[in-house]
Amino acid sequence: MAEFSQAAIIGVSLGAQYALLALGFTLIFGILGVVNFAHGGFYMLGGYVAYSCVAYAGLPYPLAVLVAVIATGALGWIFELYLLERMVDDHLATLMLTLGLYLVMSTGLLTIFGPLSMEFAFPVKGAMHLGPIYVPRENLIVLAICLTTIAALWLVLYRTDLGRGLRALADDRAIAMAQGLRPKLLFPLAFAIATALAGLTGALVTPILSLSPGVGDPVLATSFLTVILGGLGSLEGAALAAFVVGVVEAFSSVYFGGSIGALVLFVLVLLLLVFRPTGLLGRTVRGA
Amino acid sequence: MRRNLLGWADLIALLVLAAGFFVPMLTHSVLVYSILNQVFTGVIAAESVWIMLRMNLLSFATPTFMAIGGYTVAIAGEYNVTDAFLMTAASFILPALVAIPLGALVLRLRGTYFVLVTFVLSQIMQLVLFETPSLTGGSNGIAGVPPVTLFGTEMGTNRQVLEFACGLAMLATLITGLLTRWFRQHFAAIEENEILAESLGLVVWRYKAMGFVVAAGISGLAGYSLVNMLLTAHPSSFDSGTAVDFIAYTIIGGRVSILGPVLGTGALVYATNLFGTHGQYAQGLYGVLILVVVLVARGGIVGTVAALWRRRTS
Amino acid sequence: MRHLLLAVAAIMLPATAFAQSCELKIGAMGPMSGGGAQWGLSMKSAAELAAAEVNQQGGVKIDGKTCKVAVVSYDSKYTPDGAAAGANALAGQDIHLIIGPVGSVENAAVKPVAARNGELAWNAAYATNAQEPKYPLMFQVSPPPAIWADLVIKRAMKTFPMKSVAIVVPNDQTGTDVASVDGAAYKANGVAATSEFYQRGTTNFAPIITRVLATHPDAVDTASSAPGDAGVIVKQLRLAGFTGPIGRVGGPGTAEILRVSGGMDVLKDFYWYEAVPTDDPKVQAIDDEYRKLLGHDPVGGTTFWSYLPGARMTMKALQTAGTNDADKVAAVLRTMPVEDPNIGKGYWTGKKYFGIQQTLFFPFGIGIIKDGKNLGVERQEAQPE
Repeated sequence: MAEFSQAAIIGVSLGAQYALLALGFTLIFGILGVVNFAHGGFYMLGGYVAYSCVAYAGLPYPLAVLVAVIATGALGWIFELYLLERMVDDHLATLMLTLGLYLVMSTGLLTIFGPLSMEFAFPVKGAMHLGPIYVPRENLIVLAICLTTIAALWLVLYRTDLGRGLRALADDRAIAMAQGLRPKLLFPLAFAIATALAGLTGALVTPILSLSPGVGDPVLATSFLTVILGGLGSLEGAALAAFVVGVVEAFSSVYFGGSIGALVLFVLVLLLLVFRPTGLLGRTVRGA
Repeated sequence: MRRNLLGWADLIALLVLAAGFFVPMLTHSVLVYSILNQVFTGVIAAESVWIMLRMNLLSFATPTFMAIGGYTVAIAGEYNVTDAFLMTAASFILPALVAIPLGALVLRLRGTYFVLVTFVLSQIMQLVLFETPSLTGGSNGIAGVPPVTLFGTEMGTNRQVLEFACGLAMLATLITGLLTRWFRQHFAAIEENEILAESLGLVVWRYKAMGFVVAAGISGLAGYSLVNMLLTAHPSSFDSGTAVDFIAYTIIGGRVSILGPVLGTGALVYATNLFGTHGQYAQGLYGVLILVVVLVARGGIVGTVAALWRRRTS
Repeated sequence: MRHLLLAVAAIMLPATAFAQSCELKIGAMGPMSGGGAQWGLSMKSAAELAAAEVNQQGGVKIDGKTCKVAVVSYDSKYTPDGAAAGANALAGQDIHLIIGPVGSVENAAVKPVAARNGELAWNAAYATNAQEPKYPLMFQVSPPPAIWADLVIKRAMKTFPMKSVAIVVPNDQTGTDVASVDGAAYKANGVAATSEFYQRGTTNFAPIITRVLATHPDAVDTASSAPGDAGVIVKQLRLAGFTGPIGRVGGPGTAEILRVSGGMDVLKDFYWYEAVPTDDPKVQAIDDEYRKLLGHDPVGGTTFWSYLPGARMTMKALQTAGTNDADKVAAVLRTMPVEDPNIGKGYWTGKKYFGIQQTLFFPFGIGIIKDGKNLGVERQEAQPE
């Protein structure tokens, strides 16, 4: 029974981490139609920027997280505006561009910071113990930030003119543009929000886990999985799916072990897609 | 209108590949052999991506079926079954058979859902390989695969390995050419607008299934070529990350023609080997190359050359 | 016409061919990007230092000419395809001596290719078939766990008595190989061992840890998991309330684990294998020498130090052989006394385990941290087979 409750707690904290990643990924896909292969790169970059702020500039950790969010958002903005924007309608070209960016980013970070993991610790330590069950305090903070972010993003998208504009572009770009919406402004903005979210996740999660030039690779696979399960372009779907993936991963790993557990997770996602080809809360999408 | 079996692009692609047979007369450089071997394997894999792109489906499933083809050959090798014709057929047919039920599952998905679900397939394949050590050697893979035999003669020398890879690549190109030429209009209709094609009476699923199954078979040939080159079947050769390479070969080469995967593979495999000797900067240089080609050469290498050609002749 | 051809040929040939001194290239291979980058870059650092030392002495005499040694590094990406391509790419530059590859995966693919190309290579693989008699040009930088696991476990049990251990490793080749070797060594010492495999690319180990702790092991061994992973495992084990000793009877990387996990207080009770006696000031002086000769920091720490003797001995053998023909260099290597100025005296080993005596066995270290206090890395002398 203790394991069962523990698995549930771990599942929720995994879910929070995955949700932050998947929100950005699905935002980029929903609005720009771009599969962002560089998402893991922005996660890593967020971690390294926050680390540098703490280690070299001596900034307090919360401020370092803020700098990481701004830096990753700014890089996302620039990348969208100057590179991605030129071919935003060619989904294969944008896929290649984000892939190229990822390779360049990870090589850059490897060259600057070296291959070893950094000494980067979360300022809040320890866990709350309830009998045999424990809840790490750092996970509670990430969960709180995650829920706040989901709420904030929801408010922006559904309660502001900016959000209405972004959603209109996601629904039908041609009509939205005919109505005077400016993708030249909104696209980079959407991309920047999404990469800033990845950066935020990196700044929050890498000190809890680890920070080295390899940590961006698994991000893509997780984001992929979460976003298809939730339904592409669906914010609520991605958030819901993130927690489903987290909980399923936790339970299957606890009860079947890491390797078979992963297999169980993948097969479940595959089966779900067969019965709901547009994910949990998704709609039909344009072609590759 | 009577359709030609092959188009000029298919013939050029075959001719380019056939040049591989003559390389051993010019050089014995191991580097040249090695790069060409990688190119031939890559071309086959990229062609399977290209077939799916004809139907506007971006597939990450290539390594999945490559693994089936490659492991088929490696396991047969353990029983000393190495006949080239038999194994070519087996490495094509087995993945194709597996693709029938899988296709029934995943072809219901469109667009990016298809992209992502094929990505999941390749992850599942990794875990299946790990969990079946008695059959596939698990995480160790199968080492010491015997070389292929042709009419009872072992094809073990560098030159023979190259010639065999060249032959496989030509076979894959021939199959790809025939398929895409034969169903040209159907594939084009699906690529243009699947829903419209369906409403006009095209039985879309039939052609998609056909394409998926043949693409799987071709991937299997790529797996054969890879295993025969390395004499090892190892799970990490069929990692989902390799799918990204094959997609890059196809898109950088240009998706408009079968020459795309051929030239794209040639260019990127050469670049990989060139950059590889720059150690830790290899990946970054590769990334820069991809960025530059995508930004400068719209439509990939083939698309750009075609555009230049049109401008000159008009 | 003939003159013209000769003139063209003269232009095409590299200019160095006519200069008094020449350049001899050696290879360094391993993963230099992604999660395993540290290992490949350690190989590179080792090759660079060995080459720089030779160059400082004026270079090597090859076929009567004095040559400077240059290092060409190849990123083999921890894949068999990458490693096979690398062995060919290096051969294409007339390179016959390779410091690398690192992983079992890479090594399996390099063996047949290097044999075909006449290349000598130094692997750091842990696989049970890393060395094979049919590949006489393959050498190994340090012995596999089967040679030292028993010694480390015996020493650990003196400080940390245990009845059961859970070995946590990734589900890849190195993971499964080391888990089985370590498991057997624990069992031989009366410790019940279970193995737990995690999916490669796992970043959060909390579920695996919950599963492991449900069996209430006395100790947990992170064996050959990547140092970054092991650091997270340690951190999360302690967070989950695990108070038993944590081991690392696998690869080096304790310094990195210390950084990731959050320090000595977190590690608390820890025992590990070091490929070299890292507390020895002479060993640590390697880094100073690297900085002096190459002007920047080396990559790797322990991995770099443990790869270095192989690279140095190769340079020495190259000088004695007077040619970079792999067969001749290998023949010299086999007869050379195993000695390193920084690490000490060692032996060739591997005959019993692999059937081929081409594995370097140098003094190594066993580290113990008890109650958050580092008791240091005890030097263990190498034993002749």
